[in-house]
Amino acid sequence: MRFSRHRSTRLLGRLCFYAYCSLSYIFLLSPIVVVIATSLNGPSSTSEASFKFPPENLSLHWYWNIPSAQLEALGLSFGLALVSAIFACLLGVPAALGLVRSNLPGKALIAAVFRAPLQIPSIVTGIALLQLFYVIGDATGFYWQGTLLGLAIGHIFVATPFVVGTVTAILQRFDRRLEEAAVIHGATPWRALRRVTIPVIMPGVYAGALYAFMVSFGDVPIAIFLTAPGFVTYPVEIFYALENDFDPSLMASATLVIFICLLALLVVQKAVGLDALLKSGGTGSTR
Amino acid sequence: MKKNKAMTFGILVAAATIGLTTANLNTAMAGQFDGVTLRVATWGGSWKENMEELIVPKFEAEGGKIEFVTGSPQANFAKLVAARGNAPFDVMEILDAQVADMMELGYLRELDFGLIPNTSNIADFQKSENMVGSWDSQEVICYHVDKFEELGIPRPTTYKDLVRPELAGKISFPDINSGGGLANFGGVVHAAGGDETNVQPGLDLINDMQILKFWSRGGETLAQFQSGDIIASVGNAGWCLRTKKAGVNVTSVHPVIKEGVVGVAKVGWLGVMKSSEVPEAAHWFINEYLSEEFQVLFATKSGLVPINKKAIETIKEDPIAAEMLVLDAEEIAKEQRIDYSKVTISDWTDQWNRSVAQ
Amino acid sequence: MYVRWWLLLIPPFVISFTLVAASQFVFLESSFFKDLGLGRIGDEFVLDNYVQFVTDSFFLRALWVTIKTSGLAALFTLILGFPVAYMIARMRSQWAMILLAGIVISTFITIVIKVYGLIVIFSANGMFNQALLGSGLASRPFSIFGNTSGVVIGLMHFTLGFGVLLLYSIVQTIPKSLEDAAQIHGAKRWRVYYRVIFPLALPGITAMLLMVFNMCMGAFTSAALLGGGRVFTLPVLIQRTVMMDIKYSLGATIAAVLLVSVIAINILSIFLVRRMRAAHLVMV
Repeated sequence: MRFSRHRSTRLLGRLCFYAYCSLSYIFLLSPIVVVIATSLNGPSSTSEASFKFPPENLSLHWYWNIPSAQLEALGLSFGLALVSAIFACLLGVPAALGLVRSNLPGKALIAAVFRAPLQIPSIVTGIALLQLFYVIGDATGFYWQGTLLGLAIGHIFVATPFVVGTVTAILQRFDRRLEEAAVIHGATPWRALRRVTIPVIMPGVYAGALYAFMVSFGDVPIAIFLTAPGFVTYPVEIFYALENDFDPSLMASATLVIFICLLALLVVQKAVGLDALLKSGGTGSTR
Repeated sequence: MKKNKAMTFGILVAAATIGLTTANLNTAMAGQFDGVTLRVATWGGSWKENMEELIVPKFEAEGGKIEFVTGSPQANFAKLVAARGNAPFDVMEILDAQVADMMELGYLRELDFGLIPNTSNIADFQKSENMVGSWDSQEVICYHVDKFEELGIPRPTTYKDLVRPELAGKISFPDINSGGGLANFGGVVHAAGGDETNVQPGLDLINDMQILKFWSRGGETLAQFQSGDIIASVGNAGWCLRTKKAGVNVTSVHPVIKEGVVGVAKVGWLGVMKSSEVPEAAHWFINEYLSEEFQVLFATKSGLVPINKKAIETIKEDPIAAEMLVLDAEEIAKEQRIDYSKVTISDWTDQWNRSVAQ
Repeated sequence: MYVRWWLLLIPPFVISFTLVAASQFVFLESSFFKDLGLGRIGDEFVLDNYVQFVTDSFFLRALWVTIKTSGLAALFTLILGFPVAYMIARMRSQWAMILLAGIVISTFITIVIKVYGLIVIFSANGMFNQALLGSGLASRPFSIFGNTSGVVIGLMHFTLGFGVLLLYSIVQTIPKSLEDAAQIHGAKRWRVYYRVIFPLALPGITAMLLMVFNMCMGAFTSAALLGGGRVFTLPVLIQRTVMMDIKYSLGATIAAVLLVSVIAINILSIFLVRRMRAAHLVMV
C-alpha cells in the first residue's frame, strides 16, 4: 500500500518534470513554427504579402520568390561558418593541449587571453577589428574588411575559445597513463598523441566545432561591420532587408535554413553521432 | 578509332574557340560598360529589388555588373566615414537630413548634368552641384479604418488626434534612427509649436501619445497592423500603401501641421563619390533612376512620390497610390519641410533618447 | 614524457594575443581623445568622454539595464535549461538525439527572423495573451515590445540553445551511480539534486552562467529589435553612437566601460564562487 503511493507520487513528479521541460521547447520552437507556417501562406486576391497564422492559403509561392541575394548570402554564411569552425579547431586544439599539459608559470594568464574573446562584447570586437583592418590597410595597401579573410578572422576570433573550452574539459579528465603506457610500449610521443590522445579528444573537437559553426552562422554584431558589397552574410542580409521590406519570402528562406540544418544534423548523426559530438564530458571514450 | 577521337577533340576545341571569340566580340560590340562593376549604396529588400528588376538588366546588357551595398543611408554614410572617403561604393542614396554633413566632408563629386538627360524632367530645386533628387516621400498618419469606426473615434487629421485613451499602446512611431525618423519627429515638433532649435514640445507630444513601439523596420509595423497590436502608425506613406496591399483596411492622412501647412516631406538625393573609378557608369545609373519607367515602378511598389514630372502624371492613374499620396504640385508645396541646416542631429537624437528611454 | 607541450601554445597564443591586443588598442585608444563629430577626433589626451559617461545618469542607467537584462537572461537560461539538459543527458532512447537536434536547430535561426514569430505569439490577441487573459492571471495583455522583459525573452532565444548544450555536457560528467547511491540511502529526489548534483555541477554552472552573461552583454540585435527603441543597452548605444551619430571616441568610451564591467563582473563572480565552495567545504 505504502509502496504504491510512493510510486504514484514519483510518477506525478516525473510528469511535472517533463511538463516543465516541454516549456523550454515551446519557448524555443514556437516562433519557428509560426515562421514556417507563415512561409506557406500564399498571396490571395485581397492581400499580396501577408503575415497570417495559421496560414489560410497554403502555397509554396514564396519559396520560388526567395531573392537570389539571400541564397548567395546563405551560401557565404555556410562557407564562412565551415571555415571558421575548421580554423577554430586548428588553433583551439593545440592551445588546449598546451594549456593542460605544460606547466608554464603564467598559465592562468595565458588561459585568460584565450578566453578574452568571450568577454569582449561582440559589437566591440566588430568595430575594433574594422579599425584594425583600416590601420593594416593604410600601412600595406591591402584592406581585409569585406574579404573572406577579414570576416573569417572575426569569426575565428570568437569561435576559438569554444574549442579551447571543450577540448580542455576532456583533457583534464583524460588519464595520462594511457598515453605513457603507449610510449613505454615503444610508441613515439607523436604516435601516442595521434593514436591515443587525438581519438579521445575528438568528441570535444566536434563539440567545439559545432559551437564555432553556430556562433559564426548566427553572428550579426561582428559581420555587420566587416561585410562589403556582394559579400554579405545571411543574418546581416536579413537584418538589412527587413529595414525596408516585408515579404514572406524571408520566412521561406528561413524555413529553408531550418531544413538545411536538419539535414546537416542528420549527416552528423549518421557520421559521428550527435551524442558523441556533445559528449565532451563523460568518460571521454566514445566510439 | 584513335584518330577519330583526336579529330572529335580537335573539332570541339575549334568550336569552343570560335564560340568564345564570337561571344567576346558580341559583348565588346554591344557593351558600353564592358567589365565595369558599379557599386551602389542603397536600402536592401524590395527597394533594391526594384532596381534589380529594371536597372540591373539594362546595365548587364551593356556588359557591366552592379553590386549593392545594402543598408540605410545612415549606415552607408557611417561606412563612408569609417573608410575616410574611400567609399566602398560609387553611387549612394542620401537623405535630406544628411546633406549638410555630406557637404561638410566633401566626399562627393561634381555632377555632370549632360550625362543625366532625365534631369530635364525634374524641378530645379532638386538639382545641386553635387547631388540630384531621387524621390519625394510623404510622411503620414496611417490608421485602421474599421477599428477606428468600432471604437467610435473620429478619423485623425493632426498628430494631436492620436492622444486619446482609446489609442493608448496601439500606436507606433518611427524610431529617430530609421530613415523617416528625423522627418516625422520634425513634423511633430512643428505641429506642437516647436521648431528646429526647440524640440521639447514635440517630445512632450510624443510622450502623450502612449506609443507601443518605435519602429526601425517597416515590416514590423505591417505585421503589427495584421496582428491587431497597433491601429495607427506614423510614418512613410509607402508603408501604409504596402499594409493596404497586404489586406489590412488602412488609409493615410496627411496631418495638418499648422495654418496652411499640411503633410511632412522627406527628400531623397543621389550623389557620386569622388573616389569612384567609374563615374560615367555612376551617372548612367542616376539617369536610369530618374527615368519615367523606374520612377513609376518605385511609386507603385514602394509608395514614393516620383520627382520625374511625367511619372507623376502616370502615377495618378494608380488607385491605391492616388489615395495614399498627394500628387498635386500645389499641395506638395504646402508640406512641412525640415530645415536641417538649423538642426544639430546628434543633439536631436540625444534629447530623443533621453525622453523616450524607459 | 619528454614533449615540450608549451611549444604548441605559441602559434595560437601569438595569433589570439595579437588580435585581442591590437584591435582593442586601436579602437579603445580613441576614447581618450575629444570627439569632434563625423568620425574626427582631437589630438590632445583627455578624459572628457569618461567624465561624461560617469556623470550622466542616462549612460549609467544604460549600464544598469545592460547588466540587468544580461543577468536575468543568464539566470532564466539556467532555470529553463538545466532540467532539459538533465533530462536529455539521462535519457537512454533515440529521443535524446531528436531533443538535442531541436535545441541546435532553434539556435540556427537568427533572432531577426524569430521576431516575426514572436510578434504573432505575443500580439494583443495572439495565443499567449488569450491564454493569459483567459486564465485570469492578468487583466491586461502582456507586450514584449519596448520593455526589458521583451529584451530578456529575445536574449534567451539566443542563449538558451547554447546553455542547454553546455549544461548537457556538464551533467554528462556527473556519474549516474552517485545519484543512485544517494537515493538507495533514502535521500529524497530533490535532496539528491540539491546535495549531490548541484554542488558537483556548480563549477560548470558558473562557467555556463558567465559565458551566457558575456554573450548577452555583447548582443545588440535583441535589444534593437524587441526594445522598441526604448530600451537602451550599452551595445545598442554603441551601435547608435558609431553607426548613426558617427562619434567614434564616445562609442569607444562606451565600449571601454562595457568591456571593463564585463571583465570586473567575471572576476568578481569567479572569486565569489571560490569563496562559496571554500565555505561549503568547511561546513561539511
